Amino acid sequence: MPFDQILIQLINGIVSGMILALVASGLTLIFGIMDVVNFAHGELFMLGAYAGVTILAATGNFWVALLAACVIIALLGAALQVVALRPLVGRDPLTTILATFGISLVLQNYALWQFGPVARKIQEPFTGHFRLFYLEYPWYRILIAVLSAAIIGMLWLFMKYGKYGIWIRATTQDRIMASAMGIPVPLVHTAVFAIGAAMAAASGVLFGPLVGVNHAMGLDVILRAFIVVVVGGMGNLGGSILAAIFISLLEALASIWVSPAQAVIVSFVVLILTLLFRPTGLFVPTPK
Amino acid sequence: MTRSATASYWTGFAIALGVLVVAPFVLPEFWRRFVTEILIWGLLAMSSDILIGYTGMVSFGHSAFFGLGMYGAAAALLTVRPPDLWLAILYGLVGAGGVAVFVAYFATRLRDIYFSITTLVFSQIFYVIIFTWTELTGGENGLTFRQPPLAIPGLLSAPFTPVTLHWFVLAVVTASYLALRRITQSPFGMVLQAIRENEPRTRAIGYPVERYKIVAVMLSGLFAGLAGVLYALQNKFAAPDFVFFVVSGEVVIFNVMGGMGTLVGPVAGAAFFFLLREGFSRFFTEYYLIPVGVIFTLMVIFVPQGLLGFARRALNR
Amino acid sequence: MLALENVHTYYGKSHVLHGVSIRVEAGEVVGLLGRNGVGKSTTLKTIMGLVRPSAGRISFEGQDITGLAPHRLARLGIGYVPEDRRIFRLLTVLENLRTGLDRAEVTPSRRQELLEKVYASFPVLRERRHQAGGTLSGGEQQMLAIARAMMLEPKIVLLDEPTEGLMPRMVAHIREIIDVLHRDAVAILLVEQNVPLTLAVAGRVYIMEKGAVRHHATATELGANAAVIHQYLGV
Repeated sequence: MPFDQILIQLINGIVSGMILALVASGLTLIFGIMDVVNFAHGELFMLGAYAGVTILAATGNFWVALLAACVIIALLGAALQVVALRPLVGRDPLTTILATFGISLVLQNYALWQFGPVARKIQEPFTGHFRLFYLEYPWYRILIAVLSAAIIGMLWLFMKYGKYGIWIRATTQDRIMASAMGIPVPLVHTAVFAIGAAMAAASGVLFGPLVGVNHAMGLDVILRAFIVVVVGGMGNLGGSILAAIFISLLEALASIWVSPAQAVIVSFVVLILTLLFRPTGLFVPTPK
Repeated sequence: MTRSATASYWTGFAIALGVLVVAPFVLPEFWRRFVTEILIWGLLAMSSDILIGYTGMVSFGHSAFFGLGMYGAAAALLTVRPPDLWLAILYGLVGAGGVAVFVAYFATRLRDIYFSITTLVFSQIFYVIIFTWTELTGGENGLTFRQPPLAIPGLLSAPFTPVTLHWFVLAVVTASYLALRRITQSPFGMVLQAIRENEPRTRAIGYPVERYKIVAVMLSGLFAGLAGVLYALQNKFAAPDFVFFVVSGEVVIFNVMGGMGTLVGPVAGAAFFFLLREGFSRFFTEYYLIPVGVIFTLMVIFVPQGLLGFARRALNR
Repeated sequence: MLALENVHTYYGKSHVLHGVSIRVEAGEVVGLLGRNGVGKSTTLKTIMGLVRPSAGRISFEGQDITGLAPHRLARLGIGYVPEDRRIFRLLTVLENLRTGLDRAEVTPSRRQELLEKVYASFPVLRERRHQAGGTLSGGEQQMLAIARAMMLEPKIVLLDEPTEGLMPRMVAHIREIIDVLHRDAVAILLVEQNVPLTLAVAGRVYIMEKGAVRHHATATELGANAAVIHQYLGV
């Protein structure tokens, strides 16, 4: 067993797991509170990366680009929620998957039209490396994991102690009673959608330097995020984060022996096993 | 149905069939091919309507059945000499049916959105397998093969012409439509609709809901596979693009645009979608999905009953 | 202060309220009696904006509030304590209270004051303030539901069967709370099955049957009229 290789893949797995957790936690937050499966979440991730590319080119500052991309995509998310999802409140949740699927088609092809088929590159904010066995491992990857963890931590603190965090949790549990307590539920829904969108955008920008930014990058991400969200238990924030890291670690380890394209099958297998034995999710302590 | 409604239904059916039979003689080459293709996509759309419209399960994985139908046909046409039309159909159905057993067994344990996501993920499993197993499937490039002759054992054997191919497709699609219509009106179909309306109650009455769902997914998969075989015959290739979930998404679009739970609606939806694509391609070139996506989203919000439902309402007014 | 004029409400196709007219004046305790399924709870839900009336008018302090969203009504000063309590089960007791307390116009010192007041009325809530709402007993959940509504500093509280399924000791406690609210000049519209309790705390009483108000009297008059009570309530 190549011990050094395994360790490197473990670190890779945690890095991509944290990125995925960032996307999936937005997705599951949105599902938990309004029963919307946001098919367009991958496109928000992709447009976030493009916003990062564009702003980075204009300002030259990675951090400005990261922040501005989050704000822009949050506004876009809010607008989409108001225009396309508010009219669907109270209808079959399946209609929301259809509507967001339509939106994802539009956004993806818009990106293709606007930015063209050639992948763009985001320059990482710094290019330092450190020695890891036979590899020069980039510090930037470590930074991604730390930053993603920080963003998720901030979300957790906000949900736990913030006034609006309590509003969001109350609305998730009982929409009707929340509104009877004076919580402006439609506004909370829009805000949560915007928060989820901003998190997707943040992961898009952070992920950008590792791979090229292109119009189809959302597809791969949304598929993994769906798997993570089901494996972690739909609407369960903690479960999604654990599942994201778990699945990414497995895939990273699997790719020691098979090609990365085939390693994806590992996560499919995890999904099938979850469905068979724990259909409510691997990491579900108690139902809500 | 009342007697007069039955009569007017069959009149309409005969007229539509008659129009489609003579279509290849009056249409120019491009539109003839267009109509044949719409019939094939219409069959795929009808097959998924069994699940979406009748049982209330939105499948986002129909590309797997369709694609396996294509690859099944390819397997028959590449390995058996001389190429045989009926063997291609058989292999295609076996391929799609095999996948359908697999998907049906696992995915029907879940409801609503979970079913949709599971079917989507399953279709991607098959996509990845087909895409990476280059030795067997040709990988990214897919497989190309020669068209088999149109053969009816003991009667005739002649190479397909565009017109005979159109008629062959029309015959298969019409027979499938009648079969599906029969199925949806049978007691079995009624149980499926009961599941859509109220699953717990259907279970409480004593119907083995899971078993009905499994059979529904299998049936749906078989007809989708048949559509895949027809598409392979028409285009003489099988390619991984058709297993990719974008195709599944288009099938859902056909259903929503045409009107779920009507069988004919999804076919109309497929025609509408491809007409939109042709129309918008002139102005938007390959970005036609921008306006089509907008129209689709608006229809989900404002015309959830689809074109057919909308037309019906307008007529009854 | 609160007035329903000829309100009609449907659930889907079933006609539940057939022209209900009710008035509650400022600081007044009004009872709403009737058998199960006559539309008492629906009346409260309609006032709270949880179901939309198909016809009729609801006004609050002279303002037409028909069709307003529930969160606006809550901000206008209408508190709602539903029949099934609907505690936020995964939120702690304190967080449950904060859903109504965290309003921009409430200063931190006022917040503390309101909390102290509620804790004084319901000492058990102070003890359990960091416990999840779902872990409370039925009676404690009922107290929390009332306390939560009080966080809105309401001008009127809609109380839906607050004593249902409670032990006698708890019923007495709820009655004290109603008296406390009454002393603070909070109006109450009380839906109940418990006739003696209602007659004891309410000034006026409406009796409903089949989705409409059939009888209206002061509690004293009604207490003396056993025939009416028997006719509509069967006791």
